[in-house]
Amino acid sequence: MPDGRIPGRNFLARFQRGAAAHTGLVRALAGHIFMSASAYFPFSSGKRSIRRPSLLAIISYLVVAFFAFLAIYPLFLVLLRLVYSDGRFDPAPLLLMVTQPDVGRLLFNTIVVVGASSLLALIIGSIMAWINERTDAGMGLLSEALPLVPFLLPPIAGAIGWVLLLSDRAGLLNALFRKMLLPLGIEMKSGPFNIYSWTGLIFVYTVYAIPYVYLLVSAGLRNVDSSLEEQSRICGNGLWKTMWLVTIPAVRPSLGAALLLLVWFGFALYSVPAVIGTGAQIEVLPVRLVNLLSFTYPPETAQAIGLGMIVVLIVGGAWLLQTRILAGGRHATVGGKGHRMSRIELGRWRWAARSVVLAYILLAAVLPMIGLMLVTLNGFWTPNIKWGALSLATFREVLFEDAVTVTSLKNSILLGIIGATIGMAAAAIISLFVRERGRGVGRVVDGLIKLPASISTIVLAVGFVLAFSGPPFGLNGTFLILLLAYLALYLPQGSVAADAAAAQVGNELTEASSISGAGPTRTLLRVSLPLMLAGLVAGWALLFVRMIGDLTASAILAGTNNPVVGFRILEVYQGGSFATLAALSTVLTLVSAAIVVLMLVVTRRSDRSKTAIRAGG
Amino acid sequence: MLAVSDEASLTSQAASRPILQVKGLTKFFVRSDKSVVPAVDNVDMEVHAGEFVVLLGPSGCGKTTLLRCIGGLEKPDRGTILIEGKPVYSSQQGISLLPEDRHLGMVFQSYALWPHMSVFDNVAYPLRARKTPRTEIAGRVREALTMVGIPELEKQYPSQMSGGQQQRVALARAIVSRSRLILFDEPLSNVDAKVREQLREELVEMQRKLNFAAVYVTHDQEEAMALAHRIAALRKGKVAQIGAPRDLYLTPQSLYVANFVGKANALTGKVIGTQDGLIAVATAAGQLNGVPGISGLEAGNSVSVVFRPERCSLSIDPSPGGNALQTVLEASRFMGSYTQHTLRTSAGTLIVHTVEETNFTAGQQLWLCGEFDSFCVLPSE
Repeated sequence: MPDGRIPGRNFLARFQRGAAAHTGLVRALAGHIFMSASAYFPFSSGKRSIRRPSLLAIISYLVVAFFAFLAIYPLFLVLLRLVYSDGRFDPAPLLLMVTQPDVGRLLFNTIVVVGASSLLALIIGSIMAWINERTDAGMGLLSEALPLVPFLLPPIAGAIGWVLLLSDRAGLLNALFRKMLLPLGIEMKSGPFNIYSWTGLIFVYTVYAIPYVYLLVSAGLRNVDSSLEEQSRICGNGLWKTMWLVTIPAVRPSLGAALLLLVWFGFALYSVPAVIGTGAQIEVLPVRLVNLLSFTYPPETAQAIGLGMIVVLIVGGAWLLQTRILAGGRHATVGGKGHRMSRIELGRWRWAARSVVLAYILLAAVLPMIGLMLVTLNGFWTPNIKWGALSLATFREVLFEDAVTVTSLKNSILLGIIGATIGMAAAAIISLFVRERGRGVGRVVDGLIKLPASISTIVLAVGFVLAFSGPPFGLNGTFLILLLAYLALYLPQGSVAADAAAAQVGNELTEASSISGAGPTRTLLRVSLPLMLAGLVAGWALLFVRMIGDLTASAILAGTNNPVVGFRILEVYQGGSFATLAALSTVLTLVSAAIVVLMLVVTRRSDRSKTAIRAGG
Repeated sequence: MLAVSDEASLTSQAASRPILQVKGLTKFFVRSDKSVVPAVDNVDMEVHAGEFVVLLGPSGCGKTTLLRCIGGLEKPDRGTILIEGKPVYSSQQGISLLPEDRHLGMVFQSYALWPHMSVFDNVAYPLRARKTPRTEIAGRVREALTMVGIPELEKQYPSQMSGGQQQRVALARAIVSRSRLILFDEPLSNVDAKVREQLREELVEMQRKLNFAAVYVTHDQEEAMALAHRIAALRKGKVAQIGAPRDLYLTPQSLYVANFVGKANALTGKVIGTQDGLIAVATAAGQLNGVPGISGLEAGNSVSVVFRPERCSLSIDPSPGGNALQTVLEASRFMGSYTQHTLRTSAGTLIVHTVEETNFTAGQQLWLCGEFDSFCVLPSE
């Protein structure tokens, strides 16, 4: 079955599906974008025969019940706390939503940063997607792997990297620019750039927002038959007019989904503004929210909950807006059989187009990584690197000597391994359960488990404080509360990966197994699971990377008793050496990248032996 | 000749117990607007040992749903299904066997080969699932693969094979456990025309040799003709007519079957009377006599006179002793094995196929002539 695509494509598609659909909400709405590409049956669930209640079914019910509780209960407490606390009616949090000091400024800051970066990301991400899907300037695996950037270099590491590069005085890149300007007779003591500014903050948000847009718009473009565009050009419209009249309307659902994703992502992003926003004295909602809970004593829970509700309202508003975009329904994913993608030949513009993509990779991954490495190896942060005296001393300190850091690394990796394993196993069970139960019960369960994290990870993290810190659970400062929070926060992403993996197993494949005389357990073990395996591995890597790089839950729930990398990075940032900070970020990045690359290798190998059969659906 | 002897041998088997009996089977589907439609509507049918029955109909007629009900992949709402005399589904007795307990073979439209298993493992799967002794497995898998003509491919993976080869593997998997009933869900619709024809011939040969009973779903009437002992023409979940291919073609019982099985001309008219088993019909183009498709047609009934394009001839003068219609030739088109003529009459346009090439010219007046028994009178729809 010559596919004409690179072998890694299947894997990437799987991984990206998981990576992109950050939220169940988005998935539900943009589901057709992903699903239409794979073997998916509209009547899948209705066509199954009833089965005996097996051990499998009992386990499924238990898993579903446990995760539903984990997701719903904290959210329920947040809502309850709005108007009720200490056994009586108390609308303080509700009032604090609007009455707490400078809430207007907070909101304004957040909206400006998220709005500006989303707009930029929509434009740049769409252009890059178009270049890769519709022109001959694609760069194979390099372009395909672009959405993996946030997984290779976690946002916190990227933010710190850019601080090291573009800080007003000490920024390495700034120093380089000043050196280059000197021969031109321009002498500067600081600048020319300053990361601690509105521009700097918006810049880093944009860098991390682009992959989501790229991913969704690419998927959208892939589903629109290029003959639609060719038809328009034959009718006499030029390239640009065609793009305006045909291409953009056709990918409007993808753009809508991307916008929702960016708002959701922006209003919960803590790591980037915690580093850059704080330095620039631009405070945004998520940072204030975490500060109220973690760095204020006693914690201002009521205020935090008030702010959380604002986040919920805004994400809800974005969701409504997106449904409006989708409501027309006239932009159904079009395409007959034999989807042939013809590519526009760019000629001499080809390398110009490629340089856009290359520049992005340079900015998003390569430069910050260089910054982190240099400062680590140099031992302290200075624009004057002593090239002869670079040493691994800081790495040694972080990896072996500094007790708290070592513990936090150990904790994070352990949490990542345990969390990703439990998470993916549960996601696979839930996803098979949902498929089996079909539209009614299945949909409800699916929604229940995915909804809370879809509303906002930061609000869910707040809910965890209310639910599990104090009595009756008393999990404050334990490893367990972090594990539970990570599971609740990132299970939706694991679920999306597992759903995509399950959707790859065409119904006829399991039916053929039953007809052959195999019972449900044999079918599961011999057919469904082996076929899902590659997708589950990809999902595992995704969860692992998310969990070890987590800052949202860690900032709120971790402490000196249960330190994790995210928490330790914040601690060091507030009062430690930048070399340690850089070293810790580098280690985090290397572990993440290693896992992602390892998974790439594993899943590509398995893809090679069993390229998905097109007709499999 | 073959067809005739097949039919004869089947008549003798008819006394034996059928392999498959379907009685009063009904399955409803709930549409998204909550309306309920019967996808399978009170279907009765029997399939005997060694018999090849094709379920034929356009998409949405319920043929696949019926097949899936037989396989246990779908749960009917009413009726009974017996396989080898044992009920596998009975709404009255509350029986509904799972697919794995029905001991069937099935070939899916998409082949449904497991991509992570080699050809050998794919074919061995039903044997392993049914706990066949380990020592027997290899021999039986090879036997099945030889039977379908690909003994050399056992180590390959499905993704490394052509569509035709994949189809053969799917077939081998269906026959390997020697089920007496094998279901086929449009298995040839994904392979290209040349391979399809070849596979069809091989399938007929194999079925006659192994003598399993087959229920085969297709929307392609040519395929149905080539494969079937009997064809069940389905319409909106009901069996419109069931019978040997030549019966469906020559004596269709409804306009629907006439139109779906082969090409047909139809002229509407009213029954004037009956004589010597023939029915006289007045049409706008003149009187036509034909055999009744169903009994009970009476004078005054609205009917259609149906005839096949190749079962009549064209001539400058009317030939006696049959029907003759005055027509004007609109166009003749050379089609290779026949020539197709489009003719205008006062009752509509008709098509006639002639084997020999003709030198008629467009606009010429011609007589369309044919034996009375080539014309079939059916109630209007």
